[in-house]
Amino acid sequence: MDRSDVRAEVKKLLIKGLRLTVSAQEIVDEAPIFGQSSEGTGLGLDSIDALELVVLVEERFNVTIGDEDTGKRAFASVAALADFISEAPAA
Amino acid sequence: MTLAGRRVVVTGGSRGIGRAVVLACAREGAAVAFNYASNEAAAAETASAARALGAAVCTGRADVADAAAVAAFFAQVRADLGGPADVLVNNAAVTHDALLMMTGDAAWNRVLDTNLTGAFLCTKIALRGMIGGHWGRIINVVSPAAFLGKEGAGAYAASKGGLVAMTKSLAREVARYGITVNAVSPGLVETGLIAGMAPEHRETLQRRIPLGRLATPEEVAAAVLYLASTGASYVTGTTLHVDGGLTML
Repeated sequence: MDRSDVRAEVKKLLIKGLRLTVSAQEIVDEAPIFGQSSEGTGLGLDSIDALELVVLVEERFNVTIGDEDTGKRAFASVAALADFISEAPAA
Repeated sequence: MTLAGRRVVVTGGSRGIGRAVVLACAREGAAVAFNYASNEAAAAETASAARALGAAVCTGRADVADAAAVAAFFAQVRADLGGPADVLVNNAAVTHDALLMMTGDAAWNRVLDTNLTGAFLCTKIALRGMIGGHWGRIINVVSPAAFLGKEGAGAYAASKGGLVAMTKSLAREVARYGITVNAVSPGLVETGLIAGMAPEHRETLQRRIPLGRLATPEEVAAAVLYLASTGASYVTGTTLHVDGGLTML
């Protein structure tokens, strides 16, 4: 799977797994997954939502997000999460 | 049966309160798993008793303070019982009797590592399955020492006080996932530890308990069962004191 495919999969996972009411096209690749950017883009999810996303990403992509530093890096944006998944060794 | 179809993990489940919790959950239809530190014969006996009640059982020798051992144990539970834990009972604990000023660093660390860090490590792993399933029960076994203090057991009291604080914090964090987090605080319980106590010392302790006697392990297990049940679905972040009235906060 190339990175654009991974990004598409991540968006699908976000929408279905976290029951979001936006379309994949509305999710900006570089916008923060949690909170909002200074431009007002972002999904507005909070840190507690991150717990479920950790579980969903670990199960779907067989990676480990074991601590907060890894989580911050991985969840910076959809693009960052796709990069993290593409580069991470399998759990 | 209140726990039919549920998978319950009890740390330190081979003896005493842990054993009573394992058997109570087995009786209520749960598949049960427990770890033990060293007493293989006691673990085998408890496992056999749980199987006799019709439960699927998984046991493993694992030190809860060892992150790798905990991860391996929970992987074994998932494989043997067909899925992750629905209920986690953090019961494993050690104590060390010494005045605080004279408590050695190694003893302090051993008590905190087992009683508090052990619960943290097990909880971190169990939460992933519970969040995925949007249901879970975490029950931490604490002590009146967490609320009243206890001379000669500062490390133990500190570890249990920390566990009470962890219980409340986590209860707030995971409530939206249908996971409740509570504590049970047993007072003096009729276990092997108490059996060796001098009669006059035991009588002195009993006089301080309004109900005038020690608890049975089964009475503590009944409180754990309640918190694990769907009947306790609106109870989270609290401590159920099963101490004959000793604490009365």
